[in-house]
Amino acid sequence: MNQSEHNFGNLKRLLKLKRQEVPPPGYFNTFSDSVISRIRAGEAGGAQSATERLHVTAPWLVNFLNIFETKPGLVGGFAVSLCLLLVLGVVFSERSDSATKNILATVQSAPANDSLALVAAPPMASVTDSSGIIASTNPVTSLQPVATMFGQPNPALFQAASFAPAGTGN
Amino acid sequence: MSMSEPVTTPESGTPVATLEGDLVRKARRGDLNAYDELVKRYQERIYATIYHMTSNHEDANDLAQESFIKAYQALKSFKGGSSFYTWLYRIAVNKTINFLKQRKNKYHLSLNDLDFNAEHDPDLVALVSDKTPLRDAGLAELQKKLNEALLKLSEPHRMVVVLHDVQGVSHDEIAEIMGCNIGTVRSRLFYARQELQGHLAEYMKPA
Repeated sequence: MNQSEHNFGNLKRLLKLKRQEVPPPGYFNTFSDSVISRIRAGEAGGAQSATERLHVTAPWLVNFLNIFETKPGLVGGFAVSLCLLLVLGVVFSERSDSATKNILATVQSAPANDSLALVAAPPMASVTDSSGIIASTNPVTSLQPVATMFGQPNPALFQAASFAPAGTGN
Repeated sequence: MSMSEPVTTPESGTPVATLEGDLVRKARRGDLNAYDELVKRYQERIYATIYHMTSNHEDANDLAQESFIKAYQALKSFKGGSSFYTWLYRIAVNKTINFLKQRKNKYHLSLNDLDFNAEHDPDLVALVSDKTPLRDAGLAELQKKLNEALLKLSEPHRMVVVLHDVQGVSHDEIAEIMGCNIGTVRSRLFYARQELQGHLAEYMKPA
């Protein structure tokens, strides 16, 4: 073994170079603090802060917010665009309300003989009974006028009945 | 480490061992100040061992922190059969070897800077300027080649070289840390050095 120890003399001297490799200056000043804070965080029983939860659940949102941190000018631009969107939304919603009113007015003033127009109901003769319930004998109006309840009668399917009492003929 | 406490190694004497025992007992009861003292006491050696195994500062930082955290969590299972220092080393070594098995072939070098003293170390200066055929190779180049050669060793061989030749840990302690007998440690050390010498042949002449 002594012989081999002697043979490895240069190698051992070379390996001494490894002892000279040092971490960044001041690294060990904060090392134990990092360990202890990680232990404390672990002891907190996974009670993560809202920010940590956000990091896990919505990393895209965190990245988005980080952009604002690095470029504060973007915050103003983002706020202005949000306000603009809000104003545009209000304006367009008012316009769409007035357009709806116009359409309704057009429909109501349409000619009565139009086949698709609503059939005007006849004046209802309503009777109010003692219980206050309004009863009406008027038929239910439909959008499309129907001639008969069962459609047009087919003369081939039935023949007219005739009745003559016995002793009245011959 | 506070200035009022003796700054000594665990191998050097009984007072330190007693103090270490007190700190371990307090830490086991949940005293984080006591554990902070233990971390400060061993952080450099644990970090260095892991760093020399991984040749990467970021990995060494993560693994060293995780080793201390795991040791704290497992402190209740520490029976005191060995010294806290050996037990802590065993945790760090196992964690590092597991990490290296997962990282297989994906490593990259992120070497720490050389200490200023390296340039003035007579052994190293002589090695670079006299013994090396490639006279232009500076210490930084040599550092890189040395780390690349170390990474070619198997994990158990690399660990033995790092612990003994770099860290100065005795054969007995290495056997205890790695859970093998002294004969295995010596044999691994011999073959590891032989392999390393082969990889670094162009940088060394026979003594």
